[in-house]
Amino acid sequence: MNASNGQPLLQLKNIDTAYGPIQVHFDLNLHVHAGEIVCLLGGNASGKSTTMKVILGLVQPLRGTVLFDGRAITGLPTPQIVRLGIGSVPEARRIFAQMTVRENLLMGAYHRKDRRAIAEDYERMLALFPRLKERLHQRGGTLSGGEQQMLAIARALMGRPRLICMDEPTMGLSPLYVDRVLALIQQINAQGYTIFMVEQNAHLALQIAHRGYVLQNGRIVMEGSAQALLNDPEIQDAYLGEKQ
Amino acid sequence: MESFLRTFSDQTINGLVIGNIYAFIAVGLALIFGVGNLINFAHGSVFMVGAYVGWICMTWWNLPLAVAFVVVALVCALVGMAIERFALYPLRGAPPIAPLLATIGVSFMIDQAVQLLFSRNPHAFPNPLIEHRFQVGGVTVSAIDLLIAGVGVATALTLYAFLRFTRWGWALRATAQDREAALQMGVNVNAVNRMTFAIAAALGGIAGLLVGMYFNTVYPTMSFQATFKGFAAVVLGGLGNVPGAVLGGLLLGLIESYGVAIFGATYRNLFAFVILIAVLVWRPNGLFSLRPRVAQEPLTGTFIAKGRPVPTPKWLIATLIGVAFVLPILVPNPYLLQILTNAWLLGMVALSVTLVTGTAGQTSLGQAGFMAIGAYASALLVLRLGWPFELSMIAAAFISAILGTLLVFPAFRLRAAYIAIATLAIGEIVNQVILNWEGLTQGAMGIAGLPPPSLLGWQMIRPHEIYYFSLALLCLAALVQWRLVRSPLGRTWRSLREDEIAAQAFGVNLNRYKTLAFGVAAWIAGLSGAVTGHMYTYISHETFTNTTSILALTMVILGGMGNLLGAIVGAVTLTALPEVFRGLADYRYLVYGLTLLLVIRFRPQGLLGTD
Repeated sequence: MNASNGQPLLQLKNIDTAYGPIQVHFDLNLHVHAGEIVCLLGGNASGKSTTMKVILGLVQPLRGTVLFDGRAITGLPTPQIVRLGIGSVPEARRIFAQMTVRENLLMGAYHRKDRRAIAEDYERMLALFPRLKERLHQRGGTLSGGEQQMLAIARALMGRPRLICMDEPTMGLSPLYVDRVLALIQQINAQGYTIFMVEQNAHLALQIAHRGYVLQNGRIVMEGSAQALLNDPEIQDAYLGEKQ
Repeated sequence: MESFLRTFSDQTINGLVIGNIYAFIAVGLALIFGVGNLINFAHGSVFMVGAYVGWICMTWWNLPLAVAFVVVALVCALVGMAIERFALYPLRGAPPIAPLLATIGVSFMIDQAVQLLFSRNPHAFPNPLIEHRFQVGGVTVSAIDLLIAGVGVATALTLYAFLRFTRWGWALRATAQDREAALQMGVNVNAVNRMTFAIAAALGGIAGLLVGMYFNTVYPTMSFQATFKGFAAVVLGGLGNVPGAVLGGLLLGLIESYGVAIFGATYRNLFAFVILIAVLVWRPNGLFSLRPRVAQEPLTGTFIAKGRPVPTPKWLIATLIGVAFVLPILVPNPYLLQILTNAWLLGMVALSVTLVTGTAGQTSLGQAGFMAIGAYASALLVLRLGWPFELSMIAAAFISAILGTLLVFPAFRLRAAYIAIATLAIGEIVNQVILNWEGLTQGAMGIAGLPPPSLLGWQMIRPHEIYYFSLALLCLAALVQWRLVRSPLGRTWRSLREDEIAAQAFGVNLNRYKTLAFGVAAWIAGLSGAVTGHMYTYISHETFTNTTSILALTMVILGGMGNLLGAIVGAVTLTALPEVFRGLADYRYLVYGLTLLLVIRFRPQGLLGTD
């Protein structure tokens, strides 16, 4: 899929972020075009998850702007950002453990008012995720980790987002489910969803992404097409462990 | 046997009816805890407002009962939303102890406002229903019993349907389960918070109206009891667990009802406090949770804000002490000296609070219990055994240290907000035991005729004598505490406050150091209580109440947690403030509540900074 030539769907410009005295981001710049899968790679404490929180308005940057579809969304409350069309698959899934699978799915469409379209999307999700259909009235907390990840993704899709932010979607999953989740991400991307994902597992992420950024100690140290990054000797050394 | 069965079934009905009301209160507390992770000390005040609004509707305006219910629910919902908007919303982002203390401030203000508007005396609340009692299968049921049961069931069903089938109900549940995830679904969690307060307050208000009708009376102090019964019920059912709260309420009602039948009416309030502590200590997730939930991490820590202590040079402290000592000579005004004597004695209590809460990080709302133990110990030693005051005073301090620490010991494993509730309950238990152990304490009569404090034959009767004595004790206590806090022991205490787990990892025996902190604190508070008792010459189970405990904590927050000079400055300020502005004396608790709210909001590190 080619990046369109127009303005990016999501753009982070000169972002500086800090938790108290500890600065997390230093002049962060990145963008995501409509239709892309873009991954943000980096080790522990490199500032990956905080990037997600900045986009979703859960953490306010000290400086810089987040643009969504050309509009500055920095400083907006999270619910409003979600309503503008940014869906989230949070780190560690964050399923509502005491609510049923059905309720979890419909919570994903909480900010929408179009009842009929919601019902259609709901049916689509059940077709897409037969596993969830079997467990509709079970509590979210009783699902396996992989099933919860599926539910989290389906829940995000229920919001009809124009951009889905995924924070470490393969974390803690069995190898079988890692492959399933990656295939699923490619599948929904093919349906037209734009995806920005944060991953620690660079090798896996670059297999499905179009482009990638490498974050190190709060700075973007490398960016490029997924293929270029996969072939980069430095990346192979630092993140892919090919030389070990 | 048959009469026993009849009594038993009557007590069961009675217990279920009262339990139904407790369930109303507890469900509100559980909703607020679930959504906001907040223990709401103002809940009983809203309950009381509900009772008064209901009373106004029925006796002033002669409204029909159904209309009264609606008015009560609406007014209380508004009150609840106002509390959330003005006292709690500005504190979002602050450590969880801050909103908890804010609700204490709010409850002081509401309770005093109701007292000012409607006097502190009870008002009769005529029962609008027929007085007829029905015989149903050998059980006597009155119309009001049926009404309470009906309203209870109807409300429970409505609430269930709301939570289960409506958009707002889903938003509420989602927020309670995972606030941040709810935000990412587009839920406006601030609006959910306010709605939760409205619902909880409406339920609390309806409970107040029902209680007013059931006991045919409304009075301002019904507020605190309601808060505590609600806590006990909600803890029984598991904090934040709504169905659990209903069961907890019913269970508490039954236990109370049977307990009263067996032990007598004066024991009524003891059960709730004992249950509260026992469940907190042994089953902190409630009786009905199958597996223990993960401990709520955000509930740790006592500091509202960190800040450096304002530097106070030694000469300034020396000057202040000097001024305090020459004051009776310069201004021999007995009224002023009396007020300052109170300030010195309360200052000692504030010192004891700042030790456990500020330095060692264990939020204590039970310090008045230690004072009561000290006062009764000294009084009994002097009056029963003929000990001289000098000796009884010291012995009382040690008795308070030992008994007090033993009482708090089971609660050592609890953290910030939970230990606050547990210590408050312990303070109440002390008073309830005093009330019921008539052989030792003369029960409700109290002990009169305590001789004034004396030292080596010198009886302190005139104001400046007791002034000097209490000032000297305060200085002594402050000096000892200052040495302790600056010693390696003080450093260990502070390590408990900063991070219990890390302290433990470094080999600190938590129980030993908490014992030492509470022991020293109870010693100082017990000494203050002994002197206070002899100064008043009369003590009862109502002399040292939770209000004193909360006041002492407010002093410490005002002065700055862990700051010794701050504790004394706080004590002097809060004791003198209502007196200096004479007009404020009647509004004392409004002033205290407002002070608490303003300090938490605008200067959370206190006047002199935390140390």
